[in-house]
Order: sequence, then structure tokens, then C-alpha cells
Amino acid sequence: MAADLRRGRLTPLGWAGLAVGAAIMLAPLIWTLLLSLKDNAELVGHSDAALRAPYTFENYAAIMGNSLTLRWLLNSTIVALGQTAGVLILASLAGYGFARLDFPFRRALFIFVLVGLAIPSQAVILVQHQLFAWLHLHNSYPGLILPGLIAPFGVFFMTTYMRGIPRELDEAAMLDGASRWTIFWKVILPLTIPAQSTLAVFTFLGAWNDYWWPLISATRSDMYTLTVGLAAAQMNYAQTSGLGYLMAQAVFASIPIFIVYIVFQKQIVRAMAGTAIR
Amino acid sequence: MRRFLLALMTAFALGSCAPDDGKTHIYLQRFFGECGAEYGGSTDVAKAEGECGIITSLVNKFNAENPDLRVDVNVVAWPGYPQLTAQMAARDPPDLVTMHSGVISDYVADRLLEPVEPYLKRAGISPDEFTDATRLGVTIGGRVYALPWDTHGGLFHVNTALFEKAGLMRNGSPVLPNSAEELLEQARQFQERTGKPYLIQSNVGDPAYAARNQYTYMMAEGAVLFPDPKHIRLSTPVGRKVAAFFRRINEERLGTLNMDTPAAIAAFVSGEGGIYPTGTWMIGSFEQEAATPGRPLYRHYAVYPYPRLWGERVEYVSGHAWAVPARKRTPKQREAIARFFRFMADHNFDWTRTGHLPAFKAVLHDPRFASLPHRADIAPLAEMGRPLPGYVRRQNAIEGIVGEEMAAGFIGQKPIDTALKQAERRVNILLGQLN
Repeated sequence: MAADLRRGRLTPLGWAGLAVGAAIMLAPLIWTLLLSLKDNAELVGHSDAALRAPYTFENYAAIMGNSLTLRWLLNSTIVALGQTAGVLILASLAGYGFARLDFPFRRALFIFVLVGLAIPSQAVILVQHQLFAWLHLHNSYPGLILPGLIAPFGVFFMTTYMRGIPRELDEAAMLDGASRWTIFWKVILPLTIPAQSTLAVFTFLGAWNDYWWPLISATRSDMYTLTVGLAAAQMNYAQTSGLGYLMAQAVFASIPIFIVYIVFQKQIVRAMAGTAIR
Repeated sequence: MRRFLLALMTAFALGSCAPDDGKTHIYLQRFFGECGAEYGGSTDVAKAEGECGIITSLVNKFNAENPDLRVDVNVVAWPGYPQLTAQMAARDPPDLVTMHSGVISDYVADRLLEPVEPYLKRAGISPDEFTDATRLGVTIGGRVYALPWDTHGGLFHVNTALFEKAGLMRNGSPVLPNSAEELLEQARQFQERTGKPYLIQSNVGDPAYAARNQYTYMMAEGAVLFPDPKHIRLSTPVGRKVAAFFRRINEERLGTLNMDTPAAIAAFVSGEGGIYPTGTWMIGSFEQEAATPGRPLYRHYAVYPYPRLWGERVEYVSGHAWAVPARKRTPKQREAIARFFRFMADHNFDWTRTGHLPAFKAVLHDPRFASLPHRADIAPLAEMGRPLPGYVRRQNAIEGIVGEEMAAGFIGQKPIDTALKQAERRVNILLGQLN
């Protein structure tokens, strides 16, 4: 109904604008896909050869021919899922604490967490690397996952969201004899699902695309994530002689993200809309 | 689900255990890409193509010929220094690593590399066997810090079809200039007769191009670029003369102005200009174009070192080398490294098929090398090549600064004097900050 109303208000000019916008958004993606389906040698002189047949899957075959590609894919999946789960658990607990519990220095601690938003990861990379070296965590899954669990944005996001949930719900549950944990687990947490979905998507995408930390922490090729592994597999100078291969790598790396989006499309859109309304 | 997770974790735990195969393992880290799909099992080096194919086959062959040893390879994203530095910080560097000669000084300054003379001695290799360019590139303070593997530098890649049209061919070879004035005259003639630029230049996002030009022709005039480890000297009459020459090329529109490297490569293989000054590493790709019927370069490709425009015929070069990061090793591992050095020295010719020039004088005079396409023409680069002095640290960063400033000067974004002074000031600040 609401969609119909919105559609009814859209003028032909609006539709045209939308179509142009969509075309602009899609053009680089289609261009990338077409380049990935072309023979590398053909693209050296003329990248517009991508607009003409013949097309080939040889670049994808080359990616799959690398014995480590599936291992890198698995590593990325484990790291991204591990970080996502960890961030959701920690940010929810911390968010509840900041939003609902009274404890000494709560405000100061919350500001301390917010300061974390202003510190770029590069500023602490040296000490972080040294710490992980002392703990012998490089080239391991914990070494790749743990730094991503420091998520001040997640804490801030969940705190803000939970503060928006009426306190009357907590009070009603308390009158029914519910403990703090029960209130968190059975009352508040289910109401934060839209926020959890949003945070999960952001965290998963960030972890999946991360390059810098895996580059210096995972220095053995069997522990590379997909981003680092695909970069290491490149062999052409200035990305010229292997343009098709490069684009195939880009497409390949984005397939899991694409699948995640397709599968969770409803939740993601609902989460975004819910957050926006709130 | 719980069972599945348990099985997965067990598989990882087992997978991460090192096999006790009774062999001595050394751990080699390199760039040049990953091509296990094509060359994973290949030991036939002669049939391998390209940097990745040849290096992969060479390591396979070494492992096959040395059943008591095992070289474990780790492929890193080019150039691999962030990972190497991280490994060194974590006290877990590889046993052997590919390194550009210009980077060796940075690691040596912090005592992160071992001098390799003991390995060379055990392998029966004398530094006198290295070409001058490569020996200088791996020697710092009188000590040798790596086994040189090649020399690479700038070359004039020539479209001889367009040169023919421009009347610049003699006895089947392109006529290259012998002075700056001659280059300008030939460029004007070329432009007039072909309607295309004489030089295809990658002035955008490719600081190495401008830096290479400035270094090379200042060296040719005998300029001392780095009088000491803390200072560069660019803003001199020689520096101004070289920069003004490239500025003039651009002012007269004798070269392309707004191209980055991929655009310049595409322009050259599409026959859009006469000469593309770029590195040895592009020879293979251009040879392929020259061997493909219907392509603009088909049977019309030649390549030479940078021509002498002033003074002495020298050229700024760099090179790849095999360095040995400092760490605890067993005597057997040291023996394995020495044997690997011997093997690589014996196979230096195979590597020259990539387009890079040999690190050993013997290969330079090997008839097999001379018989490779164009190698006789570019061989002088191995002897006229000059790296920056070994005591200069941060050579990559310096190249970035010098290239950025000089490119701005060459294409007219900055006055020449300003570009030279700013490059000098920025580099001196950088060097002044080093311990």
C-alpha cells in the first residue's frame, strides 16, 4: 500500500532519474564482470574489447586452479563470522550495561569508549602487532579475529538503540520477578534484532574486506584471508597484462558478500529502515 | 553442528602440524605472483614462461634435485615489505626473501639482514662474478648482503613501424639520438611525419618514470646525487638542465602528458607513439605483441637502453636479490641456503628469459643469452647500470618524492627550480629523521 502510494507520486521524470542513477551505479559492476570474462592478452591494448565476444571463463579457472583459493575463502569466512559473532555479543552486553545499569564512572567509561571511534587503527598497529607477537597469535584464527572485536562503534550503536527502548518494559518484567539477565535476554535483546542485523552486516563486510591487519598478521600463505591471498597471487605489472584476471578476482571476492545480501536482503532493508525511523 | 565444529577444529589442528619428513626445511618468501595451477608440479624450467612460471619451476627443480632439503615457499603481495617487516618484528622472518637492491640498506641499518659472504663462500661463488651494477646494489659498507638475481632498469621500447614512417630507420634498426638536441630534432621529425607523439610517457601516478629520467641523466653528467647518507643534491645547474629538457619535450608536445602506466602501455601496444620508456619487465609482453599477427607491433618492435644524451653513458638501475634475514638457524639450514645460492647462480640464465638482465658476468657473455630476442641490444645496461649508493636508505620513499616533484616540473605544474628545491628539501627532511 505504502509502496503503491510512493510509486503513484513518482513522475516520469522521477522514473527517468532513477533509471539513470541505477545505470550509473550498475555500469562499473557490469564493466568489471565483462572484463573478468575476457582473455587477458586481448585487453592489453584495448579494454573496450570487453564489449565484444568471445568471452571466456579462463580467469575464473585460474583462480580456482590455485590450490589455496578455497583455503583463503574458508579463512575469510571463519574470520568474518567469528568477528561478527564476537562483536554482536560484546556490543550487546556493553550496550545494555551503558543503557540500563548504574555503576561508578559509567559516563566516563562511555566517553572512553567513544574516544576509540576517533583513533584510527593504524595509530595502534605497531603495539598491537607487538602484543600479538608476544602472545604468539600471529598466523592463527584468534590473531585475525581478536582485533576486530574492539568495536567502539558497535558499543555506541547498541547503547543508543537500547536507550530508545522504553524503561517501562524493564520495570514490568521486574515486577514479574525477572532477573537482570532474563530482562536482557528475553525482553531487550529480541527488540534489538533490527540493530543487531545492521551491526552484523557492517561488521561482516568490514571483516571480509579487511586487508591491512591480515596482511601483517597472517604471513603464511595458508593463513591468508581472501583479500590478501588474491593480492599475493597477482603477477602482472601495474595491473595491465592481467586485467581480466584482476577483475575476476574482484568478482570472486565479492560473490560471498553478494550471497549474504541476497539471502538477508529483507532483514537488511528492514533493519536500515527501522534504524532510520528510530 | 557441534560435531561438525569439533571435526573442523581437529582438521585445522592437524593441518597446522609441521610434517616430520626428515628433511631440512628452509622457508623462502617471494613476490612475482602465484601460478601453482599452471606450474605447481613443473620442474622443466626451460618450458616455463614469465617471472612466476620460471621462479616456481626453479624452486620445484631445486626441491626435486635435493631430496634431503625442502624449500617451503610463501608468496606475498608485491613488494612484500610490510609483511617482511612484520615478520621481523615478530622475530619470525623467512630464511630467504626476494628484495629490491634499493631496499637492502633499510634492513641492514637495523641489522636485520645477515651478510651473505659465508654462504657465497660455501657455495663457491665470488662477488667478482657479479656484474658491476648488481655487485654495487648488494654491497653496503664493504659487506655483501644478498645474492643478486638480476638488474632491471629503464629501456626505450620502440615501435619500428612508426620509426620507418618517420624516416628514422637505418639498416633495419631505429636511429636513436646521441644528444639532447638530436632527440628534440628526431622527435619533431617523428611528430611531423607520423602525426603521433615521439615519446609515450607515464607522467601520472608513476613517480619511478620521472625519477629514473632525472637520476639517469644527472648521473650521466657526473653529478653526485647523494654526497652523504643524509643529503640529496638535485637543485644544481645539471639538475636544472635535465629537468628543463624534459619540460621542453612536454611544452613542444613531443610526448604524451596525462597518461598513467596502464594507459601508456595500452597506447604503446596500440601503436599510438614511437618510444615508450619503461622497464625491462615489459619486454615479454611487448615481444608477445610483436609476435601476434594483426597487432600494431607485429614484427615492429625493438628495445634499447636509454640513449646517451649528455656526458657518460650510464643509467640508473635497480635489481632483485635474495637476502637472508637474521635469525637463529641450524648448521643444516645454513648449508641448505648455500646450496640454494649455488643452484640459483647456476640458473641465472633461465631468469633472464623474463626480460631482466643477468646478475652474473658469465651469463652476460653466454651465447644462449645473446640468442634471446633483443638481449644483445639491451645487454649494455648490465654494465652501464648504476644503482644509488648503498648507504642511501629509504630509496623507495625517496624515489616517490623525487618522482612526484619532477613529474610536476616536467609537465609544467611547477617551475623547474621549485620542483627541484622542494624535492631536495623533502628528501633531506626524510633522511634527517633517520637515526
